[in-house]
Amino acid sequence: MKRILYSVLLSGLFLVSCKKNITDLNLNPKQPDNVTAASLYANASINLSDVLASPNVNTNIFRLLSQQWAETTYPDETNYDLDGRSIPDRWFTEFYRDVIKDLSQAAVLLENEKLIPPIMTDAQFKNKKAAIEILTVFSYYHLVTTFGNIPFTEALNVDKTQPKYDDAATIYAKLITDLDAALAKITPAASGFGSADIILDGDMANWKMFGNSLKMRMGMLIADSDPAKASAMVLAAAPNVVSSNSENLQMHFLSSPPNTNPIWEDLVQSGRYDFVGSNTLVNKMKSLNDPRVPLFFDLDESGGYSGGIYGAANSYSSFSAPTVTITEPTYPLTFFSYSEMEFLKAEAVARGIAVGGTTEEHYNNAIDASIEEWGGTATEALAYRTQPTVKYTTAAGTYKEKIGVQSWIALYNRGYDAWTQWRRLDYPELLPPPDGIFANGETPGVPVRYTYPVVEQNLNKANYNAASAAIGKDRVTQKLWFDKF
Amino acid sequence: MRTIAFLFALLFMSSASVFAQNQIKGKITDSKDGSPLTGISVKVKGTNNGVTTASDGSFTISTPKMEETFEISGVGFLGKTVKGASGKDLQVSLDVDTKSLSEVIVTALGITRSKNTLPYAATTIKGDDVNQTRNSNVISNLSGKVAGLDIKQTNSMGGSTNVMLRGFKSLSGNNQALFVIDGVPFDNSNNNTADQTTGRGGFDYGSAAADINPDDVESISILKGAAASALYGSRGFNGVILINTKKGKKGFNVTVNSGITHNSILKNTFPTYQKKYGQGYGFYYGPNEDSNFNEADINGDGIPDLVTPLTEDASYGGRFDAGKLVYQWSSFDPSSPNFGKALPWVAAANDPTTFLEKPLSFNNSVFLEAGNDKGSYALGYTRSNEKGLLPNSFLDKDLVNFTATYKLNDKFTAGASANYSDISGKGRYGTGYDGANGLNPMTSFRQWWSVATDVQELKDAYFRNKQNITWNPASRNNITTPIYWDNVYFTRYENYETDNRKRLFGNMSLNYKPVSWLNILGRVALDTYDEIQEERKAVTSVGVPFYRRFNRRYTETNYDLLGTSDFDLTSDLNLKALAGTNIRVQSTASIDVITNGGLGLPRLYVLSNSINTPLPPVEFEGTRRIEGYFAGATLTYKNTYILDGTIRRDRSSTLPDGKNVYYYPSVSAGIVFSELVKPEWMNYGKVRINYAEVGGDAPLYSTKDTYVHDIDANSGSEVSTFNGNSLFSVSNTKNNLQLQPERTKSFEAGLEMTFFKSRFGFDATFYSAKTIDQIIPLTVSSATGFSRKFVNSGIIQNRGFELSLNGAPVRTTNFSWDINVNWTRNRNKVLELYDGVDNIILGDFQGSLTTNATQGEAYGTIHGTDFIYTNGQKTVGSNGRYLKTGTNNVTIGNINPDWTGGITNKFSYKGFSASFLIDIKKGGDVFSTDLYYGLATGLYPETAGNNDLGNPLRAQLADGGGIVREGVTEDGKTNTIRVSASNYGAYGYRFAPDKAFIYDAGYVKLREASIGYSFPKNMFGNGMIKGIDLSLVGRNLWIIHKNLPYADPEEGFSSGNLQGIQTGAYPSVRAIGFNVKIKL
Repeated sequence: MKRILYSVLLSGLFLVSCKKNITDLNLNPKQPDNVTAASLYANASINLSDVLASPNVNTNIFRLLSQQWAETTYPDETNYDLDGRSIPDRWFTEFYRDVIKDLSQAAVLLENEKLIPPIMTDAQFKNKKAAIEILTVFSYYHLVTTFGNIPFTEALNVDKTQPKYDDAATIYAKLITDLDAALAKITPAASGFGSADIILDGDMANWKMFGNSLKMRMGMLIADSDPAKASAMVLAAAPNVVSSNSENLQMHFLSSPPNTNPIWEDLVQSGRYDFVGSNTLVNKMKSLNDPRVPLFFDLDESGGYSGGIYGAANSYSSFSAPTVTITEPTYPLTFFSYSEMEFLKAEAVARGIAVGGTTEEHYNNAIDASIEEWGGTATEALAYRTQPTVKYTTAAGTYKEKIGVQSWIALYNRGYDAWTQWRRLDYPELLPPPDGIFANGETPGVPVRYTYPVVEQNLNKANYNAASAAIGKDRVTQKLWFDKF
Repeated sequence: MRTIAFLFALLFMSSASVFAQNQIKGKITDSKDGSPLTGISVKVKGTNNGVTTASDGSFTISTPKMEETFEISGVGFLGKTVKGASGKDLQVSLDVDTKSLSEVIVTALGITRSKNTLPYAATTIKGDDVNQTRNSNVISNLSGKVAGLDIKQTNSMGGSTNVMLRGFKSLSGNNQALFVIDGVPFDNSNNNTADQTTGRGGFDYGSAAADINPDDVESISILKGAAASALYGSRGFNGVILINTKKGKKGFNVTVNSGITHNSILKNTFPTYQKKYGQGYGFYYGPNEDSNFNEADINGDGIPDLVTPLTEDASYGGRFDAGKLVYQWSSFDPSSPNFGKALPWVAAANDPTTFLEKPLSFNNSVFLEAGNDKGSYALGYTRSNEKGLLPNSFLDKDLVNFTATYKLNDKFTAGASANYSDISGKGRYGTGYDGANGLNPMTSFRQWWSVATDVQELKDAYFRNKQNITWNPASRNNITTPIYWDNVYFTRYENYETDNRKRLFGNMSLNYKPVSWLNILGRVALDTYDEIQEERKAVTSVGVPFYRRFNRRYTETNYDLLGTSDFDLTSDLNLKALAGTNIRVQSTASIDVITNGGLGLPRLYVLSNSINTPLPPVEFEGTRRIEGYFAGATLTYKNTYILDGTIRRDRSSTLPDGKNVYYYPSVSAGIVFSELVKPEWMNYGKVRINYAEVGGDAPLYSTKDTYVHDIDANSGSEVSTFNGNSLFSVSNTKNNLQLQPERTKSFEAGLEMTFFKSRFGFDATFYSAKTIDQIIPLTVSSATGFSRKFVNSGIIQNRGFELSLNGAPVRTTNFSWDINVNWTRNRNKVLELYDGVDNIILGDFQGSLTTNATQGEAYGTIHGTDFIYTNGQKTVGSNGRYLKTGTNNVTIGNINPDWTGGITNKFSYKGFSASFLIDIKKGGDVFSTDLYYGLATGLYPETAGNNDLGNPLRAQLADGGGIVREGVTEDGKTNTIRVSASNYGAYGYRFAPDKAFIYDAGYVKLREASIGYSFPKNMFGNGMIKGIDLSLVGRNLWIIHKNLPYADPEEGFSSGNLQGIQTGAYPSVRAIGFNVKIKL
């Protein structure tokens, strides 16, 4: 009996000790080592849409920087405290790691998939490639216009753990070349990523429009810094951009979490009451009798429309909160709208770029399109834009001011685009809050860029220091290369 | 001590030699009282022929000769060499050895060694010293008692305990000491989420070593250096804490313990509130947005009434004035007696200190021990019911231990032990800053609070209807919809967690002793537990209501085969050798699932109550296997010169093929010089020196790349599909197929001496350890497309000095006074990181604060913004506020202390005993997120005093208010700019750099104090009761000195590498307990 016990114990020991390939234990049974290009592409598309649509104070505070919204209890972002919660870090990381990296890996997998049956046609392959490339350019466009110099030639290379920063204008030029190359790959009649293309549902004609609209926007961005190139780009792109509200390029969120509209997540699902319309925007719109006021905002508790004091703490119920329209779970993210394109064309004509039509025609189209896009009527639009304060010929200021003010209103809820438009045109006049914090030791001013991420300061110090010196100084008031005035 | 002796005897008991011809008998007694001594070794000099005495002190030994010289030795007694002859009963009395250092110590793999001849640093703590305070967490009771051991327990109920020996060795891996119970590793992992450990909210579920039954602990050995622990392989490189449990004694003993503990907070670790200004952020309200109050006609008399700005979670509102009537939150609660009434504007009568309860906890245990010549067993049961300071919290533990050994015959001894623990928690404290969930009341009480809020009114408001009626509603018309903060009672009674862990830990062993000098042990040990954690957020809470359940199973199996021999090569030269193999298999499987989008029916916590279909659960499954072979030898010459060496080979499943086998050696030497020179005043002296290397493997799944699903920030679920399309992402961590083992090289030298009949002694150790080729998930610029990349790189050096002093200044028949002092100074330095990388981020926190490992600096520097200094003075900008650096990468603190120490004094007078322990930590920095925000929101008295003009500083500038920040303007002149302090943020985070919230984390604490009384033995006669001990004990009684206001400088989020930051810190808990111990 005892002998049996001993031998069981001892043989047990030897049995378990005879395992040959123990390294197999280190293969994770719950995670794949190969996936489809489409799954990465779709994932990148969602992450991109989320970060652009988000009103989250940890990432996307452009509705606040463009003074469309004010804050209620915690006016940190409207006082330009970007450090408190490392806002630039998340914006930077979302683009590089969560969007561009997945896109670049999708491109790698796509090359492999080309060789595996069922074989895709060359046109399909090129279409998919084009979609990946356009989104990549679109993502870098946001990074380079947020920060200025950024890692580019050494980015996405994990062997370069401390990538150098490249000159913003040089990167921008390369992005334009890449965009043209991507557009040249598109065969509108052939398919692309199909349903995995959650932005444009695999419609390659729409991708062509997306690429051209982006080119239009990118062209106008450099209208002050490189007018010749801007002109060429705008002329080439203009015939193919979004040309009616029904063509607006939008990503549609789903009705149930987690693929819902991020505005719904932060404003409704969270149960928080962080934002109200800003007095800068609401007062301006009210002074212009803008029919979009009730389309953008809810009534305040005294039954009127009022904006919270920008930069101050505001009582939520005393002011007008953003309307429920944009807080619906399925409310879409607009990438490019007809209204925006018409404003760009209006500006192009004003700058002497012959895209056809007059500045006033485009200006009127843009305003009409915006009001209708928000649910207003053509009648309301006409009444609005024929007022002397709005009418192109009589409204105050230069073309920059007229277009600046109106496009700022029309780009409501598109914080980044509104902020960038303001940076380019310098109108409307935005003032920093009175007792603003001296972020990074600088005299308060309305930010014209994000400071570099805290993580970069700590992990990539030498390149960070070089980039900071190259752009001037790493501060929110440091104007970027395109921002001449 | 005698139990150890008995153990020793069991292990080394040899069968009578078959060659015996003559029998020599005898009896060994205690010289003091003549009582028989059991377990004393009687050995024929110069041979391996020996026996141990039986329970009556008798022995019989067979010898080839009629007359022999015997060496008689026993643990705790001074040895003797006597002559004996056949036919004559040998009567020997032994003197008690008062040298405290002459103990046996259980070392690696459960091998017992004489501490006298141990060539590396080890410390033993008796079970009584860790269980007398009746704290159910054994580990935290070690704090301040051992040089080189850094213990840090969070103040939350059942919170995790950080246990570190000799500093941070690994850049990003585990720096926790390994726990071993009776030779078998015991998992002490902390499975708190990454969010929890970085202060972003979540529960601290504690570390698994809390499952150890304090009453089952016989002794604890702490092996600090790598040489001591090299035989444990990778996991031993952070040092080992060996816990030896009770094994049963001869005869039949029953011990019953019954204790009760009263817990309360240490007041100076909780905020003191200003009582001058109420709810609000400043002059932002009213019709012109320039008042402290909103105005509305509440009573319908057509005149606007004052209304508190209820949405505001700060105390920068109107100045209290009992004559001013204001509609406050309770005025809008229809069930409140205050409903519809304007109330005097005064500070709350009951501030948040009244939220904290003063609960009683109970701890009862029964221990049975029995044994005879054939074997022994111990059976114990402990039940502890601990209650937390927060309402609706408890932690119940049921612990059952059974251990038995049985001598099958002369050669075989079988042993088995089984420990079962069942631990249930409810209402563990939310930790950190979880803005969206608000589960940590301290975040509110320390950062976002209105001092006008009466906590007892909140309590009544909740209990009247069990609704979320809060002081911070979204609007006065909707008092049950909070804007930022739930009613804190609603949080505690509705949004509670529950958890349970059932654990079985045990082993079977068979010991084979074919000849007297050889012992072979086969052992299979199992440590397995299942745990479930359920978290809830009730409907109407801030954020999305949910129900989450997390199930995890952990299993570790160790198979050991170990041969040890103890052989006298000559009469002067002894060889102890060992060889063995260990196979360790650890596996974890877990599943985590949460409802999606809210709950359908309130208060129903099942997954099917999810409004939207729950997202797929997050699954994990992983197994690690390590196969080790090891050998070691110790040569001892004349009990004076000791040479010890070990070597181990490991093969690990987590490293790539071809790189997964690694060897590592240790070598130690010692000289007991007191055997060579024997001055009167010196009893014992030893120098020791050793060098060791320990290898380490990689974390699971860090070699091959895989694709992952992104994690939804709101729910923590995986986002796996969109409209039917599969989603995958490149992992945020780049794995590495080229990983090779990491390695720690350590050197240690020590000197131990005792003097004056062992009345004084010291043990001094210098050590230096370098960890090289570390396997680290290097934090990288996310422009690489990744956040981390696994590399083999980095060198951390830890150098330190440890000193223990023992003294017995007074020792008379009736009175004794013993002192133990220990002191540790550790300096760590990051020598190298990675190709071109001079800094890595360990953790990032609110305020753009990071903790870092920077080349050339200590591990754990805090980076953030600093003041700008002009001629050494803080500089104020043109707006009168402090200027701060333009970047956030300035070193503003270091989490490592300068030194730590502990002083224990013990007194005994007849049956009375008393002791106290003072625990000291000098230096080290902590960043207080609590003050970063809390000073901004005006909770503390600093923000509500008078200014240099004698006016209230919060008054408007025009009324003589405002403050002048101490410092200079940019031109170097003393600042005279008066700035407004009437709105929030004048102090606190808005207008000051991070550096302003760095505090010295040092402290002097009266950690423990106790008074005990043992009734005299003769009182009980021959009755059933053999003894009664009474004790009154206290823990965390007094913080004698600290520099961090309103908080305990030791408090952190969790165990692990991310220390030095506080947010929503819990106060220190003062525990005073009374215990009765009855021996039957």
